[in-house]
Amino acid sequence: MGAAPRRRRKAFAISGRQGRGGLVLLVPYVVLLLIVGIIPAGYAVYQSFLARSGSGWGGVSAYHEVVTEFQFVGTLEHIGLVMVVWLPFMIIGVVGLALLLHGRRSRLVGPLRFIYYLPGALAGMGNFVLWLFLLDPIDSPVRPLLSWLGYSTLDQTAEPSHLPVIFALMLFFQGAGTWILIIYGGLNGIPEEVQEAAMMDGATGWQLTRRIKIPLVRPWIAYLILLNIAYATQLFLEPQVLGLATQGTISPQWTPNQLSYTFAFQIFDVPAAAALSVMLLVVSLVIGVIITTRTGLFSEQT
Amino acid sequence: MSAILEKPVASGRRQGSGDAFRPSRLRRARKMTPMGFLLLVALIYLFIMVTFVLSTMRSQESLVRQGPFGPLSLGRLGFDWRQLQGFSDGIYFTWLKNSAIVAFGGSVLAVLVALPAGYVLAMLHFPGRRVLLFLTILTMVMPNTVLVIPLFLEVAAVHEVDKLWPVAVILGFFPFGTYLSFIHYRTTLPPEMLEAGRIDGVSEIGLFMRLASPLAKQAIALVFFFAFVADWTNYFLPLVMLPTSAVQTVSVGLQELITSSQLFNASAAAGLNVQLYIPELAFAALLQMLPVLAVFVGAQRYLARGAMLGAVKG
Repeated sequence: MGAAPRRRRKAFAISGRQGRGGLVLLVPYVVLLLIVGIIPAGYAVYQSFLARSGSGWGGVSAYHEVVTEFQFVGTLEHIGLVMVVWLPFMIIGVVGLALLLHGRRSRLVGPLRFIYYLPGALAGMGNFVLWLFLLDPIDSPVRPLLSWLGYSTLDQTAEPSHLPVIFALMLFFQGAGTWILIIYGGLNGIPEEVQEAAMMDGATGWQLTRRIKIPLVRPWIAYLILLNIAYATQLFLEPQVLGLATQGTISPQWTPNQLSYTFAFQIFDVPAAAALSVMLLVVSLVIGVIITTRTGLFSEQT
Repeated sequence: MSAILEKPVASGRRQGSGDAFRPSRLRRARKMTPMGFLLLVALIYLFIMVTFVLSTMRSQESLVRQGPFGPLSLGRLGFDWRQLQGFSDGIYFTWLKNSAIVAFGGSVLAVLVALPAGYVLAMLHFPGRRVLLFLTILTMVMPNTVLVIPLFLEVAAVHEVDKLWPVAVILGFFPFGTYLSFIHYRTTLPPEMLEAGRIDGVSEIGLFMRLASPLAKQAIALVFFFAFVADWTNYFLPLVMLPTSAVQTVSVGLQELITSSQLFNASAAAGLNVQLYIPELAFAALLQMLPVLAVFVGAQRYLARGAMLGAVKG
């Protein structure tokens, strides 16, 4: 935090048996953690080992079914492609804008941050409706751009091969502002003396950025990358609704979550849906553990 | 290394006097390019958002014929409103009500659960504390979509699909809120205060109720705000948990509006008695954003610090 360092309290208010009565206050949280987190996860693992027929154990048959499902590899390719476009775009865009904003003593810095943050208020479906407006050449405010690119219908703009770029743009527009605040907050945490000292030694603005600022906000950049990888594997709303709006040009099983949704609600193959959920859960868990233990952002708290 | 060891003589502003010797034109040019870029990005953002908002005051025909800027009419908003009222007997407003129940229930529950939990994690030492804190941070950084299908299987097993209350309960689990409360108590509540209360014979729960909760206005506002926004905009969970249209929330409802629109589904829209083009869809999308905006305004004075907390701590 940029503010003056707070008094760090290692010692607790009490130790030993005193104060145990207060643990009652923890009960609702632990109960919810169990019924919303741990039990459904365990139940999904259990379901994933059942036979599809609904009776008895199926061993790893559900996992086998998911992995050999002809669309499965495709969904992984799709999210891989989204990441290839989205992550560099997000990293360069967010870190770049945050660095450009930081250390600028213009009165515009506040309003600019607010403008970048604003689309976040329209998160989810609201943002999606806005992008339908932008992408449909019939009424798009950027129609000249779209027709220059040669698109005259929504199906042409949102052709399957364009989806990684489209989703990258959608997600950047919706989420970058929040991340700019995060990186900007990290930059504010750099002690003034360090920057002053570097300037005294004759560091130029670029050297200051490259040698001091970027290395010091590296944990937040790592956090940005890891969290966005986790989100990319979970992509659902955008491909789902864009698929509905374009009527059949985009596969309804474009991402793993959509495939899992199809298993559960169209094919009614619960073990396969559970197995795919478990696989995705493991990926998220691994990323989560890395963020929690390796980036150093949370270590001093525990 | 020496850079860090050598302390600057004057501790005032960073504006080094060395700067003054540089030719001023060069300096201005170097400052202009980044600022120009920042402004360009902001202009693109504003252009997108402004044309979207203004589209609600125009007709589809005007959008098609006149491009991004055409004549506006306030009366058009009433027209948009009537289209929403006319769509499936005003089901849009039922969706709004459902969203309000789910998001309000979920975020109130999140506050009620997270605040005491954050307090205990920050103030008491007990076995398992580190594990619980670890689980809190871990679940906080995992996307909330990851357990949707497993949660559906669980809710289906107890035959409570298509009801609003399980959705509110699920949304009530908000580990980020617990973490925010934890940080809040860690940084603002001196243990000496608790010690004094204990000496006066106040029970542990009494300490929380009478001492700690009144001090937590800011944490309450922040947890409520972040939970409300997350709950209101959630799409995957209500989509799966509430298959019947009449119990849907508004974010899933918007999807139904899109798929019923003449623009995207000519065949299904043939029997539609209302117009659902971009102006009406944008109106519906912006109307459902108002509660989020209202909560934002209400929590605004707590957000400056909160954004930092939320930002820096996850």
